[in-house]
Amino acid sequence: MNLLEIENLKTYFFTEAGVVKAVDDVTLSVERGCTVGLVGESGSGKSVTAQSVLRIVPRPGKIIGGKILFNGEDLLLKKEEEMRKYRGKKISLIFQDPTSSLNPLFTIGSQLADIVIEHEKVKKEEALDRVIKALRIVKLPDPEHAIYQYPHQFSGGMKQRICIARALLLNPELLFADEPTTNLDVTIQAQIIALLKDLQRELGMTLVMITHDMGIVAEMCKYVVVLYAGNVMESGSIEEIFERPHPYTEALLKAVPRLDETRKLISIPGNIPNLIDPPSGCRFHPRCQYAIDLCKEKKPPLEDVGNSHFISCHRWRELQGGRS
Amino acid sequence: MGLAKYIIRRAIYMVPLIIGISLVSFLVMYAAGDPIQLATAGNPSITEAQRQFLREYYGLNDPIPVQYLRWLDHFVHGDFGKSLYGGRPVNEIISSLVWETAKLQLISILLAFFISIPAGVYSAVKQRSAADYTVSSVAIFGISVPVFWFGIVLILVFSYHLGWLPSAGAHGAPYLWPVFGIKNEFLDELAHLVLPVTVLTFANLAYNVRLLRAGMLEVLRQDYILAARASGIPERKVLYKYALKNAITPLLTLLGLSIGAMLAGAPVTETVFSWPGLGRAYVTASLRLDFPLIMGITMIITIMILIANLITDLVYAWVDPRVTID
Ligand SMILES: Nc1ncnc2c1ncn2[C@@H]1O[C@H](COP(=O)(O)OP(=O)(O)OP(=O)(O)O)[C@@H](O)[C@H]1O
Ligand code: SF4
Ligand SMILES: [Mg+2]
Repeated sequence: MNLLEIENLKTYFFTEAGVVKAVDDVTLSVERGCTVGLVGESGSGKSVTAQSVLRIVPRPGKIIGGKILFNGEDLLLKKEEEMRKYRGKKISLIFQDPTSSLNPLFTIGSQLADIVIEHEKVKKEEALDRVIKALRIVKLPDPEHAIYQYPHQFSGGMKQRICIARALLLNPELLFADEPTTNLDVTIQAQIIALLKDLQRELGMTLVMITHDMGIVAEMCKYVVVLYAGNVMESGSIEEIFERPHPYTEALLKAVPRLDETRKLISIPGNIPNLIDPPSGCRFHPRCQYAIDLCKEKKPPLEDVGNSHFISCHRWRELQGGRS
Repeated sequence: MGLAKYIIRRAIYMVPLIIGISLVSFLVMYAAGDPIQLATAGNPSITEAQRQFLREYYGLNDPIPVQYLRWLDHFVHGDFGKSLYGGRPVNEIISSLVWETAKLQLISILLAFFISIPAGVYSAVKQRSAADYTVSSVAIFGISVPVFWFGIVLILVFSYHLGWLPSAGAHGAPYLWPVFGIKNEFLDELAHLVLPVTVLTFANLAYNVRLLRAGMLEVLRQDYILAARASGIPERKVLYKYALKNAITPLLTLLGLSIGAMLAGAPVTETVFSWPGLGRAYVTASLRLDFPLIMGITMIITIMILIANLITDLVYAWVDPRVTID
């Protein structure tokens, strides 16, 4: 059994301008002990997917359908208090921007210890010991002193280490890392990626790496799920996806920057669609170089094309022939 | 930098400020007119010679710089002189009124502060719900309704028609004693407080709630709130510990300002409820150009505001570690 199975998840934002279909019929699975990449351009629904699993989608967002099976149990059926016990304990989330995801007015020690206290009902001193241990695991220098400091006293890279420690405090089974390096300097990015890789291997953790950087995916992940405009375009092993990509993934791959450059995405021509009124048929059709009339009219189903490779495209099979 | 050193430095900075404000008030006051003329205007039998005598007696004929320096000399010795009306020492007048004003104001300001916390948090969390609209409407009503009108309505209803509460003064409503069953000074004082406190709390509450609601809406969008939820912190704690501390700083500023300015207080409310307070005395003194009393009250208010500002800054630095005092 997979650790996480998401089936037909729909998470919409009910804004004044209209209903934003941020995650629309997403199906994916995450094998225990693996690193899975969740990729897609900005606004494709990666963060909302992770937030949906934890059921912390902010208002006016709402999960309106689907199943989220964690160890076979549907998280969407849990009561709020039961669900709270999963957050931070069984499933954790690392945010994109370490600066904004640490509370500026509380010491590192107090905000991290609170998490241990809320889950394990231990005394403050014991909780702080656990915090120090976690900070040591992420190689934060001088953790005994760091717990009495405030977030603004650390550099960006150190703050992200603290955030990783926060996510690992209670040894979660599943860790979402939501673009954990986007806001960091290039050299620091490499260190954080190396740290996550090591931790994943040492702790045998299941890691979902959210990114729009195919370079990071190639470096870390065994499986990849590609999202576009709230839909899954394809999912499969890294080899399958690099060798026989979906047209959208192909465009993403062409956008991989050279290694010595900053890991900024060179964008695919055209814009990501408005999710209040998304394109008909295949959502990628306005930007797809292979689009035909059928793509506009009918939404391609997510089909198993063998080797655990799932594709949502009318023309993928046909295109494989041409590609040799 | 040391806290004591900081406080001492701030105190030293206050000296030129206090002198500057006193000088400006002094000049404005003298530009406003002649108090003796004003006081005697209604008295046809008074002669110009008698007026001259009064001006001489109160030292109003001396050149203004001389008058100011004399005033300053008395001020640094803690003496505000005597009222032009009745000749009571200003110090005595102020100390007899200051407690009544402070009592009324402090109760109202603190009540408004503490009520606004759950109200502001709740309406931010339930943004655009019926409860939020209710809180907002009450707040808008509180901001827009004139204090004197609201005060008079309360007096009409609760004093005049129902006869439950006294409508004027701070003490002594013997007709109430049978209601309490005993002659009780404390209950008497409380009964007098109810209506003016209601009016003032309501007026303060409106700003507080709106400020906190806006702050909370901003803070609740932040990643650290989502991160706290993602870590399994219970929602109550997320709101009242992690979010509130970030959203409350504007409210603390307002609290500091209100407490600082509280002695200038609520002249309108004090007038409507005939409250024996400093606010009402200030208005009366200004209308009569009672120079020593105006200066005395102005200086007390100035000093209070400066001290409250200093305390607000210290609280700020205590709440937010990124703020350094220097
Ligand atoms: N609070 C919100 N209110 C309205 N719409 C939202 C909200 N949060 C997200 N969305 C919408 O949901 C869609 C998906 O957003 P999401 O944050 O999941 O994208 P993402 O793939 O994580 O992008 P990025 O790479 O920029 O982080 C976006 O179109 C966004 O406009
Ligand atoms: S279905 Fe059509 S538009 Fe969509 S990716 Fe395939 S070819 Fe392109
Ligand atoms: Mg995101």
